[in-house]
Amino acid sequence: MKANIKWLDDPEVFRINQLPAHSDHPFYKDYREWQNHSSSFKQSLNGAWQFHFSKDPQSRPIDFYKRSFDSSSFDTIPVPSEIELNGYAQNQYTNILYPWESKIYRKPAYTLGRGIKNGDFSQGKDNTVGSYLKHFDLNPALAGHDIHIQFEGVERAMYVYLNGHFIGYAEDSFTPSEFDLTPYIQAKDNILAVEVFKHSTASWLEDQDMFRFSGIFRSVELLALPRTHLMDLDIKPTVVNDYHDGVFNAKLHFMGKTSGNVHVLVEDIDGKTLLNKKLPLKSTVEIENETFANVHLWDNHDPYLYQLIIEVHDQDGKLVELIPYQFGFRKIEITKDHVVLLNGKRLIINGVNRHEWDAKRGRSITLADMKQDIATFKHNNINAVRTCHYPNQIPWYYLCDQNGIYMMAENNLESHGTWQKLGQVEATSNVPGSIPEWREVVVDRARSNYETFKNHTAILFWSLGNESYAGSNIAAMNKFYKDHDSSRLTHYEGVFHAPEFKKEISDLESCMYLPPKEAEEYLQNPKKPLVECEYMHDMGNSDGGMGSYIKLIDKYPQYMGGFIWDFIDQALFVHDPVSGQDVLRYGGDFDDRHSDYEFSGDGLMFADRTPKPAMQEVRYYYGLHK
Amino acid sequence: MDYTNKKLHIIYGDGTFGVNGQDFQYIFSYERGGLESLKVHGKEWLYRVPTPTFWRATTDNDRGSGFNLKAAQWLGADIFTKCTDIHLKVDEHDFPELPIAPFNNKFSNHEYASSAQISFTYQTLTIPATNAKIIYNIDDVGHIKVTMHYYGKKGLSPLPVIGIRLIMPTAATGFDYEGLSGETYPDRMAGAKEGRFHIDGLPVTKYLVPQENGMHMQTKKLVINREATQNNSDQTNEKFSLSILQDKKPFNFSCLPYTAEELENATHIEELPLVRRTVLVIAGAVRGIGGIDSWGSDVESAYHINPELDHEFSFILN
Repeated sequence: MKANIKWLDDPEVFRINQLPAHSDHPFYKDYREWQNHSSSFKQSLNGAWQFHFSKDPQSRPIDFYKRSFDSSSFDTIPVPSEIELNGYAQNQYTNILYPWESKIYRKPAYTLGRGIKNGDFSQGKDNTVGSYLKHFDLNPALAGHDIHIQFEGVERAMYVYLNGHFIGYAEDSFTPSEFDLTPYIQAKDNILAVEVFKHSTASWLEDQDMFRFSGIFRSVELLALPRTHLMDLDIKPTVVNDYHDGVFNAKLHFMGKTSGNVHVLVEDIDGKTLLNKKLPLKSTVEIENETFANVHLWDNHDPYLYQLIIEVHDQDGKLVELIPYQFGFRKIEITKDHVVLLNGKRLIINGVNRHEWDAKRGRSITLADMKQDIATFKHNNINAVRTCHYPNQIPWYYLCDQNGIYMMAENNLESHGTWQKLGQVEATSNVPGSIPEWREVVVDRARSNYETFKNHTAILFWSLGNESYAGSNIAAMNKFYKDHDSSRLTHYEGVFHAPEFKKEISDLESCMYLPPKEAEEYLQNPKKPLVECEYMHDMGNSDGGMGSYIKLIDKYPQYMGGFIWDFIDQALFVHDPVSGQDVLRYGGDFDDRHSDYEFSGDGLMFADRTPKPAMQEVRYYYGLHK
Repeated sequence: MDYTNKKLHIIYGDGTFGVNGQDFQYIFSYERGGLESLKVHGKEWLYRVPTPTFWRATTDNDRGSGFNLKAAQWLGADIFTKCTDIHLKVDEHDFPELPIAPFNNKFSNHEYASSAQISFTYQTLTIPATNAKIIYNIDDVGHIKVTMHYYGKKGLSPLPVIGIRLIMPTAATGFDYEGLSGETYPDRMAGAKEGRFHIDGLPVTKYLVPQENGMHMQTKKLVINREATQNNSDQTNEKFSLSILQDKKPFNFSCLPYTAEELENATHIEELPLVRRTVLVIAGAVRGIGGIDSWGSDVESAYHINPELDHEFSFILN
């Protein structure tokens, strides 16, 4: 297949040759590798890449992916990082209005009775292009195996080539994109070429209130597949018998050779074996209804995780792949009185919204950032996080499992610029809406989020997205989750503006910034449990009056609490030549227009990860209903 | 003789009223309309006369809700102060007029008293105008009780703050206080712990856009520490302190290197002027900061300052 730049203009083209999303389990050759957290099946491609920046698609080096291309004039760029923060393109912060506001007239394809506008993005004069090249040899341990490549996050549309051959195309900036490199991989002297466009029709769906960046901003890895490889793990731990016992179900989907055995073990924290099964390898191996008496339940106070170990053996009994995974038993449900229970007890959300942010690295955050954020959560009685408004880096989900942080796992979707017009609802050109051509692209985002993270105990809610209005396409996302997952609740706030969809969308009544009095009015006759998915807007010196919300928790069991907006200011460190200091800058400080200026700074934390004075108030109030 | 028991040495000056004691020297200026000099143990504590303060640097929530637009005339009333009346009382004697020349020709350098009271009335530059009175009561050992009375008036704009601003000639090296931990406001103090706290320097909370910050509610005692003076003959650079004590009720304060107007003017913290002075605001009424949202919701009504009611507060300079 040949790559086609017109895909950028077509909302129905969003993944070409991309492998189906699957669970995020690690896999190792043996126990020693697991001990060292280092898999010989993986090869990181992070580091210095060759790079060329083009201000628009017309001026990009079209043939850069060919082996014959002379790339000696290319610069180098670190991967992962943001193109803008390397100085190639202008930083821009805008909230609702799209970044091309008043520079380019655009309306989404298939809205207003129009079809696709050819060249809208593929010739967009604002559509900067990063041409990335990576020369690499395969690590010897990977040689001879089928090889996949996984991009954890690339904004916003990318074409991948290997050794001159087109490999595939992907959108959805915040979920992993995986491709099969096997047909073209060599042991040595591979040239990987990735062409990253800042804009495509996906930009309509990714209008999050944030600095607008582009580039390969999360890790890139090569994956070598053992002769038999667990492609997808689907575990379903449930709680039965009045919250006493656990039932364990799992589906293991293998690829490669199906001769040999699979050995499935479940151990508790003391190493006691609860399950020990040896089954013949098949493409799908199922563990059905294994009951564990008196399970230790998982929650915020006691995030107890069981250890699942999957050993894959060949016909000679030799270990070919080892998959460890930790999971917990917990049950979330809604009573007929519209109260949300976790393990039979009322669930109270002491939450925050959290953008991935690092004042030096933008959204290309580090594991150290994540660990620091978890420590801040624990110290301040924050027990829940909404991954606003996109899936986060994979390690964050493991940290939340291990630390008992309840997750509202949100899809990568925010299109408020297509229907919030100067504060008024005006949805004539809204996407995804109910437009057929925009359906698959958003359902795919739900699927990727679900398939990647489905095994994480910490996820209690799937959130369909943020501020995207509502129509049958978002209803289809809700249905996707309902068809695949009975162990969690769905959440979506935007249906507030299209109440005719409330029956089909969201298990929760979700509001944002609803004043305490109005929340109380709803709670006097609730139809669903109420959550404030965003509240206490912490812009500057704020967080006053929090007690009025916390009182509602005591008064109304149907009020679940909420997620403070938000965890950390989005501001960037810049060296100021006038004062000679490193200072924090916000929207508009980069001559970026249109901008929403200091609206980027609404955190409980300053952008340098020190707490604002308001944090002691949060710690107190969130400590009242721990 | 009677005067030997009286410890305050009074100077009926041509343009000022002087109160001197063992280790202090106070000058009240009729021209400047306030306490011109607060000299304790040889160290000057005032850069300019203290004035009523009515403005706080606009917070993001204030801007979003349009509070700054509603309250704007208090900004003018904060910057510009119009003293309209001064009243003096020494011991039990009420002066019907200020004792300037030729009235003061009858006094000597041997005038003593046990107490003195001087009050300054300021007319606010608002429409309608109202008055605020600052009353200094000096006892026989030189402690000054400072009282401010704000006269409410119908039709006035909502108030950002009611307080007294004292500007000191050099930056404090730090301060100690007995009250609540952290930065607190009437609607954000439930999580604060009571105790004694030491603050190094004069930290400005680093909100992205400089704004009202650093308030400390319900304080019993504050001690401000300085080392430098502007006195060319004083090179000691040793720590010296001024204490502010609660009177009937605890007081609220912020101790920053900037006025509300200096904060208001900056769009980034690095734009603020070099730190060179200490700006102490003792606030009787503090408006909440809000938090419901930053684009329209007002601070909850319980945390507004009603401009139509009288407000009074006091504290003691020690």
